[in-house]
Amino acid sequence: MITLLLMSVAVGLLGSLTGLGGASILTPILVFLGTPIKIAVACGMVAIIATSSGSASSFVRERIANIKLAMYLEMFTIVGAIVGATITVIIAPVFLYFLFAGFLLTSFVNVRSSLKEGYSPPETQDRFSKWLGIDGSYYDESTKQVVKYKATNSLLGGLGMFVAGIAAGMLGIGAGAFKVIVHEKVLKLPAKVSSTTSTFIIGMTALAGVSVYLFSGLLNVTLMAPMAVGVTIGALIGGRVLNKIRDRSLKILFLVVVTLLIIQMLFKGVTTL
Amino acid sequence: MSSEGLGSGESTLETIISYILIIGVVVSVVLEAIGITLYYQAYGNVQISQNKAVFISGKDFFAFIITQVPHMFGSMSALTFITLGLVILILTPYVRAITSALYFGWEKHYKYVLITLFVLVVLTASLALH
Repeated sequence: MITLLLMSVAVGLLGSLTGLGGASILTPILVFLGTPIKIAVACGMVAIIATSSGSASSFVRERIANIKLAMYLEMFTIVGAIVGATITVIIAPVFLYFLFAGFLLTSFVNVRSSLKEGYSPPETQDRFSKWLGIDGSYYDESTKQVVKYKATNSLLGGLGMFVAGIAAGMLGIGAGAFKVIVHEKVLKLPAKVSSTTSTFIIGMTALAGVSVYLFSGLLNVTLMAPMAVGVTIGALIGGRVLNKIRDRSLKILFLVVVTLLIIQMLFKGVTTL
Repeated sequence: MSSEGLGSGESTLETIISYILIIGVVVSVVLEAIGITLYYQAYGNVQISQNKAVFISGKDFFAFIITQVPHMFGSMSALTFITLGLVILILTPYVRAITSALYFGWEKHYKYVLITLFVLVVLTASLALH
């Protein structure tokens, strides 16, 4: 439990900085150490309510995360998460290794192209996005500038979030990587608004997943407690330093972490076959 | 740098939410940490248990709070604190959703009242029915 606690602190920090949410890093490690994947998934889902809420608190206070956007997108993620978690309770564990790796892989492929600095808002905003009133601004500490932004393609973004929700629920992760891509590529939001809003949404999505896992007999509290405590402490530290790091450094960190996780899960999946 | 005028334009709600989140998480994590410490004292080790008792069981989350939680205060065991921490953690985003719905109602942002109510209804149903 103590080793797990310390490991969780490190993972929480990393998860918060990359917007991955923590559990997507910790679950592969737990599986590697011999925890049954479904139990790791259920406990990870609880731990990320804590991570997400802990770091989202500072992102919301600093007015970086967009709460209106988050609440709109949560409608989709929670339904997805309930569906996803229900599937996981039913299916054979071996599918989950490959899904985990496959899901991380898509995020890796997509984010590679966006290794550039700066943000320019979309030229036009569709009527639905305008109706929802999703726009805002934030102060970027690394460039010392106020960045104004607005979202577009909200309906498509919502559907993307439904898919993200299914994956999150199934794998007990925040699916932050995938959410960030939907935010940046579909909704056309700046990197920091994307990752912080994603972190905020993850808490609600995880709650929806937990609502399924809670009484499924998969939730081991002696595993869950150190995970939740450790990951949260790490995430709180991460939340403090995020706004001081440049977008480019964040993206490089993201790439390295995702690559390692994919290799690990594929390895586990192949060896279980 | 003042953050006034930044964000999504819902400054008051942002402040309230940031407090709900941090208080919920801190209280929950402190309870969990006490639980882990008590667990260590009671069992002399902090191995991850495979005992059936450490797996949460029940059917309805709200019934679980009403029926099980009051009983737990009698024992003050490690599992009491860990379970309470879990319950508070689950309630944190839930309370956040309730607060947001009330706030948007107060501000007469009816679009967002509907959005937050939808979230709340789905969560309530899922917590109660599983």
